[in-house]
Amino acid sequence: MSTILEVSHLSKRFGGLVAVNDVSFSLRPGEVVGILGPNGAGKTTLYNLLTGFIPADQGSVTFLGQSIVGMAPHRIVRLGMSRTFQLCRPFVGMTVIENVKVGGLAQPAPPQGREAHARELIEQVGLGGKEDMPVEQMSYGDQRRLEIARALATAPKLLLLDEPFAGLGSGEIAELSALIRRIHQETGLTVLLIEHKLREFMKLVERVIALDFGELIADDTPDRIVTHPRVIDAYIGTDAPDVEVA
Amino acid sequence: MVEILIQGAVSSAIYAMLAVGFTLIFGVARILNLAHGSFYALGAYGTYVLTTLGLPLVPAALVSIAFVALFGVVMERVLVRPMRRKSLLAVLMITLAVALAIEQVLFLTFGSEYRNVPSMVTAKYELFGVGIAGQRLFTVISAIVLIGALWLFIQHTRLGSAILAISQDPDAAQYMGIPSDRIFALVMAMSAALAAAAGILAGPFLTVQPTMWLLPIIKAFAIVVVGGLGSIPGSILAALMLGYAETIVAYTISSGWTEIISVLATLLMLIFRPAGMFGKRAAF
Amino acid sequence: MFTHRIDLAGAAVFVAVMALLPMLLDNSYLTGVLTVAIIYAIWAVSWDFMSGLTGRENFGHALFIGAGAYTAGFMNTVWGISGWWAIPSAMVVASLFALVVGFPTLRLKGPYFALAMLSASAIMERLMLIFWEYTGGEEGINGIEPLIFSQLGFYYFALAVLVVCTAVLVLLARSNWGLILRAIRGDEATCQAAGLNVTWYKIASLVISAAIAGAGGAMYAQYQLQVSPQVFTVVLSITVITMVYVGGMSSIWGPVGGAILLVMLTELLRDFGEWRLLIYSVTLILILFYLPQGLVAPTWNRLKARLGGSA
Repeated sequence: MSTILEVSHLSKRFGGLVAVNDVSFSLRPGEVVGILGPNGAGKTTLYNLLTGFIPADQGSVTFLGQSIVGMAPHRIVRLGMSRTFQLCRPFVGMTVIENVKVGGLAQPAPPQGREAHARELIEQVGLGGKEDMPVEQMSYGDQRRLEIARALATAPKLLLLDEPFAGLGSGEIAELSALIRRIHQETGLTVLLIEHKLREFMKLVERVIALDFGELIADDTPDRIVTHPRVIDAYIGTDAPDVEVA
Repeated sequence: MVEILIQGAVSSAIYAMLAVGFTLIFGVARILNLAHGSFYALGAYGTYVLTTLGLPLVPAALVSIAFVALFGVVMERVLVRPMRRKSLLAVLMITLAVALAIEQVLFLTFGSEYRNVPSMVTAKYELFGVGIAGQRLFTVISAIVLIGALWLFIQHTRLGSAILAISQDPDAAQYMGIPSDRIFALVMAMSAALAAAAGILAGPFLTVQPTMWLLPIIKAFAIVVVGGLGSIPGSILAALMLGYAETIVAYTISSGWTEIISVLATLLMLIFRPAGMFGKRAAF
Repeated sequence: MFTHRIDLAGAAVFVAVMALLPMLLDNSYLTGVLTVAIIYAIWAVSWDFMSGLTGRENFGHALFIGAGAYTAGFMNTVWGISGWWAIPSAMVVASLFALVVGFPTLRLKGPYFALAMLSASAIMERLMLIFWEYTGGEEGINGIEPLIFSQLGFYYFALAVLVVCTAVLVLLARSNWGLILRAIRGDEATCQAAGLNVTWYKIASLVISAAIAGAGGAMYAQYQLQVSPQVFTVVLSITVITMVYVGGMSSIWGPVGGAILLVMLTELLRDFGEWRLLIYSVTLILILFYLPQGLVAPTWNRLKARLGGSA
């Protein structure tokens, strides 16, 4: 199929505030697309709309040919769209491997068994050896990796990452970035990525969607997007961005 | 018909006083105080004790209210605050345990027979051709005055603005230097005082016995669900609705069915509009 | 991690002791006390399965207990049906109550579930009093025929039910189902993001919890040979919760110990009769402050660590 996700005229308002305003874009299978925008631009709201956590006021979202507007979040996940959260929220009171196993429970058991599959994912994200660690004891960087392992356990076809680099040091960012790239190469997963850390961001993505005040202001390759006047305006205008530009 | 109008007002008045206090402490401090009904009970019992000891009614009532307000503040500081760090449910648990403990203390002290709280107003009046006990009329007037005073306080004083600020955004309020802990104590005192006053006013015509704390809590819960958790206007409106619905049912069908009203109202609201009429979104 | 074999050994010892106790004591009164303790244990274990694991605390467990007890009472006295049908019927009725209360409230964030359960049980208590022509009011339903005529026989029946229920619930808790319930406690939103229908699991575990509590309620009716509105009281709900706290929340089996300890405490405090409930509520407050992890399960775990050398 040519597009894995089609978003058309998606809108959401909270009382008087328009969080997402008539946004339309599409994703092709296997793409790595980034979402750019200052704080408050509506990026996380967009994720919440796509994943069914909040209902849209207007517009349509078609995933793998199916309209998913109004579908319950857990059903959307089962179709193959998974997300991570900006603030890591692991299952407290449980160990790493338990966290990852829960991620896979909504899917049919993989041929090697759920336990083995969970261990594989834990290895894949670089947490090998920490399977039995209680999540409360983990460093923030490790919690991020766990979050990704948990999302991968749902066998997604489209992965929505929400600021995965937030709160990480530059070394950890490089490692996580390499991990994302590796997973993408190994599985052909389609990835949508929100991030402020522009240096790594621009290296990962093939295409960038820019949002400002809930509106889509540009949709282009990384090189060309920084030349868009509206993007420059949003970032280098009167409002100082909290990004590190390449 | 006129009887229903008047009786409904009386029920609504009591319910409004209970619900407003309940929703106030929740809106401001996120405390669901299951011991709220105990304040109601303690107000009634306190007045009973003091009048039996010889104190005139009005001072007895005032002392009682003050005592209950103080008790509420102490309870919040000593028992509830440590639980707030754990979870909302820990708060529910401890207030429930306190409510039960108070019930037992009352039971052990006074036994389970009904006690008598004297009426503030003993005269009987006539309103639109229907006889009404002065006490009941007094109840309605007191409720209007007290709740009105509370509303004015919140809307027009600095302290009131602080309360509103905390209920809207506790963190922001703290950054602005508003002393939340002291405000919580103040709100708790007001909430407890309202409940105690309700108990004193209702005492003469409703039963005073140790388990009298439970039903008010259930009604208060039903009211705040319908009105919206954290909304004072919502609570008042819902209290009116519940008070009149119950009175109409009591007069037309039988008094037994009144309990079912609050259950049905709660259930239906939770299914169709969990946020209530004026509350913030409660849905997942 | 738990050391499977030590746990099984411990359980076996416990069951053996409980089985021998009545014969050793040879005291009809004490056997009765033990029977009641076992029924309380059934209630406590069922509460822990839902509320202990998911963290969504149920303040009205008495709703299910009372539903089961009155079902058994009605079936026997009003409809003259044999007592053996009472338990399955009680389970069905209690499950229906669970659906009615659970469905609207468990999908919401916040205290609605806890308060709705509290309200529902209290309202049922009132209704039993209000409609006294049908329910016998304060006196309730009397003259229920005993299920098993021998006191000892009924004791072993109850013990068997407790063992089976606890085993089933422990197995469920250790299975993927239990993982999901614990994940719900951890973070509901993340659970949704994992593709799990969180509401369904909460409701399902409530229904299971209710069914078992209802069965216990029916058994209680068949033991007491009467049912009164006491089975719907808040006091009963709080007593059960206290037992779970003492036993160790979310351990499932710990509450068995909690129930037995508290019933024993009640017996020792027999002379203080009227003070019992006050002592219970103060105990609960103290536990919430100083022993939120409980007594029985943590003690056993520490014992295991010493014995087995593994945590």
